[in-house]
Amino acid sequence: MEENQNPVYKNKDYGQSRELLYSYENDGQYKKTVGFHGEPDRIILQQAWDLFGERIEDARKRVKAGKVSPVVYYMEKNLLDPMNLGMIAGISLWRVKWHFRPVVFNRLQEKTLKKYAKAFNITIDQLKNIE
Amino acid sequence: MVKLDYKHRQAGHCESGVTSNLLNYYHFQISEPMVFGIGAGLFFSHLPFLKMQHAPTTSFRVWPGMVFNRSTRALGITTINHRFRNPKDAMNRLNEVLDQGIPVGLQVGTFHLPFFPPEYRMHYNMHNMVVYGYDKETYFVSDTLMEPVVEINYDDLARVRFAKGPFAPQGRMYYPVKIPAEVDFKPAIIKGIRKTANNMIGVPFPLIGVKGIRYLSGKMRQWERKLGPDKASYYLGQVLRMEEEVGTAGAGFRFIYGAFLNEAADVLNQSWLREISFEMGENANKWREFSYLGSRNCKKRGKPEQSYDFLADMLLEVADREEKIFRKLAKIN
Repeated sequence: MEENQNPVYKNKDYGQSRELLYSYENDGQYKKTVGFHGEPDRIILQQAWDLFGERIEDARKRVKAGKVSPVVYYMEKNLLDPMNLGMIAGISLWRVKWHFRPVVFNRLQEKTLKKYAKAFNITIDQLKNIE
Repeated sequence: MVKLDYKHRQAGHCESGVTSNLLNYYHFQISEPMVFGIGAGLFFSHLPFLKMQHAPTTSFRVWPGMVFNRSTRALGITTINHRFRNPKDAMNRLNEVLDQGIPVGLQVGTFHLPFFPPEYRMHYNMHNMVVYGYDKETYFVSDTLMEPVVEINYDDLARVRFAKGPFAPQGRMYYPVKIPAEVDFKPAIIKGIRKTANNMIGVPFPLIGVKGIRYLSGKMRQWERKLGPDKASYYLGQVLRMEEEVGTAGAGFRFIYGAFLNEAADVLNQSWLREISFEMGENANKWREFSYLGSRNCKKRGKPEQSYDFLADMLLEVADREEKIFRKLAKIN
């Protein structure tokens, strides 16, 4: 493992904090070291961010094409899945999935929209029109 | 304004780090591995039907909250645990306790924590940190994952304490109130080791403990054929993230546990424990090697020694090693 060397990520905001790690040398000594993430950790973290980035981009395209409702885009943007979104917004899982259809979403009541807006921490206007 | 003279020390694992720091504030000397071992934190489970971040959940530790509860109970320390319905009550109670000069441990959700490094930005509601003072709207926080101490404002703190979703913290706060003058570590350590050994080899359920590692190994062989290369690689990455990233101090807590066995050998005066601690260290290095080769696989540098079959064989070897270790540990007295 690399130690005390700040690896370069695709996004410069990442990997700025040092962590405490335990390690074992084969002579029977346990050691504590404070250091940056090593290369293996960087690869697997980058893999997750890449996947989330792709999912967000994909959701944006599908919303623009009118295939799914903006709820999907904001759900991906907040790294949620339908079950977690349901728990956070206080709407049952099946209703959340039902609201993924643009037709259904367009005739939603103000009350329900408010719940989503609160869960995503945005206004209703933003919820209806994605950037 | 209250600002207690609390000593912040960085730790590998949030909950045992918080417990050890809280007890050290009352001049009760206990290290982080010791808390982790007595609280029987080591575990393994692979739950393919429970998805987290679009991949099956693999866990290397017990249920959150258990390490604090078990370790303090085994040492005879009285603690107070609170949960709340409404954020205002929770924050008022926090202020009252801080006014009495008691640092408080909190369970929080990580997604809205403003000081958290962005690589950990995910919905994880089982993080632990300590608040040791406040000044009007600003709270002073010691988060064992972070190198420096940090600050957080009232609204953010109320928000993370009442994060929603699975395992919602509901404003949970906890602190030790009464520590006995003399504590005997020996029975606590023996109890902790027995509990861990039972968790790892004694549970008659195939997804838990050593059997769980073998189960994961079997599943891993099928991933590429069933899911295709991209998804298989993401699933493997998820196992590795759970093993190395989420505050495990490396190799899915195996290093911490080895350090605990090393300390326990001194306290109990049983030298065979030290040999087992070395075995545990070698086993942890094997896990490390697994994550190293696995991450190469995730980068799609497909070589025969990084294929899923090879990694699965490695897991089987690790499972055999751990089974041997815990069969020996189960006989402790």
